[in-house]
Amino acid sequence: MDLAAIVNLNHPATYVHWHFFQMSVSNLVVIVLMIVVFAAAIAVPFRRHHEGDEQ
Amino acid sequence: MTEPAPSPAAKQPAPSSWTARVREWGVRAMPPERLLPDSQPAYMSSWIYIFGVLTIASLTVIIGSGVVLGLKGPAWWHYTGVGHFFNSIHLWAVELFFFCMVIHLWAKFFMAAWRGGRSRTWMTGVISFLISIVAAFTGYVSQQNFDSQWIATQAKDGINATGAGAFFNVLNFGQMYSYHLLLLPVVVVGLVVAHILLVRRNGIVPPLPLSDLVKARPAADGGERAASQAR
Amino acid sequence: MSKRLSHRELDAAARHYDGPYKPYDLVKELCVALVLITVLSVALAIVFSSPDEPPSTIAQWSRQMPVDFVTTAVNELDGTSGTAGYGPPYNHNGPGQHAAFLHLQKWLGVSHPIDTAADFVYQPLSTIPDVPQVKIATAAYQAAPAKTQAAWTTAYGNALAKASVGPGNTVKAPPGNYGPLPTMMGALLALAQSGGLDGDLLTSRQFYQTDYTKPLLFMADGGLLAARAQAQHLLGTQWGMMNETGSYPGQVWLWLYTFWYQISPYNSSANADLLVFLTMGVLSLALLLIPFIPGLRDIPRWVPLYRYIWRDHYRAQRRALGQR
Repeated sequence: MDLAAIVNLNHPATYVHWHFFQMSVSNLVVIVLMIVVFAAAIAVPFRRHHEGDEQ
Repeated sequence: MTEPAPSPAAKQPAPSSWTARVREWGVRAMPPERLLPDSQPAYMSSWIYIFGVLTIASLTVIIGSGVVLGLKGPAWWHYTGVGHFFNSIHLWAVELFFFCMVIHLWAKFFMAAWRGGRSRTWMTGVISFLISIVAAFTGYVSQQNFDSQWIATQAKDGINATGAGAFFNVLNFGQMYSYHLLLLPVVVVGLVVAHILLVRRNGIVPPLPLSDLVKARPAADGGERAASQAR
Repeated sequence: MSKRLSHRELDAAARHYDGPYKPYDLVKELCVALVLITVLSVALAIVFSSPDEPPSTIAQWSRQMPVDFVTTAVNELDGTSGTAGYGPPYNHNGPGQHAAFLHLQKWLGVSHPIDTAADFVYQPLSTIPDVPQVKIATAAYQAAPAKTQAAWTTAYGNALAKASVGPGNTVKAPPGNYGPLPTMMGALLALAQSGGLDGDLLTSRQFYQTDYTKPLLFMADGGLLAARAQAQHLLGTQWGMMNETGSYPGQVWLWLYTFWYQISPYNSSANADLLVFLTMGVLSLALLLIPFIPGLRDIPRWVPLYRYIWRDHYRAQRRALGQR
């Protein structure tokens, strides 16, 4: 018995190949997301919403 | 009416009191204002700084969902929808945990955050990362499904090759489950606590100095250094 | 550039901060983080759920692949299976892996002894009640000289390569001189297909069981687990260590660990596992000791991401200096 997922991932994954290197699209998405989030965390300005800006 | 508090002179611990000595040491090493400060240096001004606390939050959700799974035993999640749901939370929290931890590691690396006597902070962080991988591994082989069968029968070769298979049998579900539920979480949490205490003790690492700002600084603040930078 | 400052000067400069502070609510930050991660985890769980491929059993293996099952059982009997020749920690029949003078697998010894012929064949067959032919056949095999046993198992093994599946999921090998083997293997196959072998291999010295070493090693010596793994892209040659069943994200953090298995000299070495472990051990040590390794610890200065991370601080510093 199982509550059905909204997006069913229980099927064979798609793989990307490059020379001897291969990775599932899901893992690639995770890695790309990590790089994007890392870059965004540095790039997006950090502004405080309440008082307490730099003195 | 209660007695008034003893005078400061009376509070002087007797030299032989271990309790007092431990308390004094603890308060000296970590005064409350340092353990829980309500201000931070102004240079903590980037979203990159939140990934440490996001990693801790992920670990908390892992442990919380793990407690629920543990309360009902290892077979529960295979045959109830609620059980499967908590297994899903546990799995996705693990993905988020490693996601945030690695971003945190990248950030601390590019900040050279080990400077200024903070090498132990870096090292406890790396060891936490490595032990977390082992903790996750014991979880994967405790799933009691095909994935755990495959991972265990494959991983045994690597572990046996190092000799560790003599006392760490990944095919032994009881042993792996014990490591996963108790032994390794205790180690991970202990390391994370040590890591955080070191961060509080040493403070957040200051920014790397830019040379033009170093040169321009008034002489009282390292004029020799500025002079030596003259091109 | 700040790289002109010596490492010691950089270190000394990082020990003090006399500049401005601002209010920062750590407890509120933790609470917000907890809510955020909880919401994210629950949302991902609702949207994607999690994989749960049912485990294989010896009963399933013997029903779906009876020829493979019998072939594996013969290999366990004559000592040619993977487990039979593994070496420590299961037996002394193999040297184990080594790297130069490091024979860690051998040094740590046999801690979980397995006699494949006894554990996977003789002992389960002895539990079959009321079938005297099986006991007679087993006794005849055990009493025969080693050369005769080898002749039987070799002939039967070769015949199994051309065997077919007969009625009732039995194995039909071409006729030949196999001694008591067909009787023994027929009985073992029937025991397995009835589900009795799963329980038999799990039972050890006591009532309560949690150690699946024997049934897992037996199954791993056969082809069912590997066939399922290949379909799910979990083989070592498929970078399987990083992957999960289905289309779920797997263990991305193991990318470097599995990478070494794909390249020379690891991919052709009998000691690949130990070599990869040692390589990763050295790299992990390097990661741990970055603060002390010249060159590695200087990369942050050479790749100046820090200029963007702390741009607010540098701007404020310039402003303060410009106002003096």
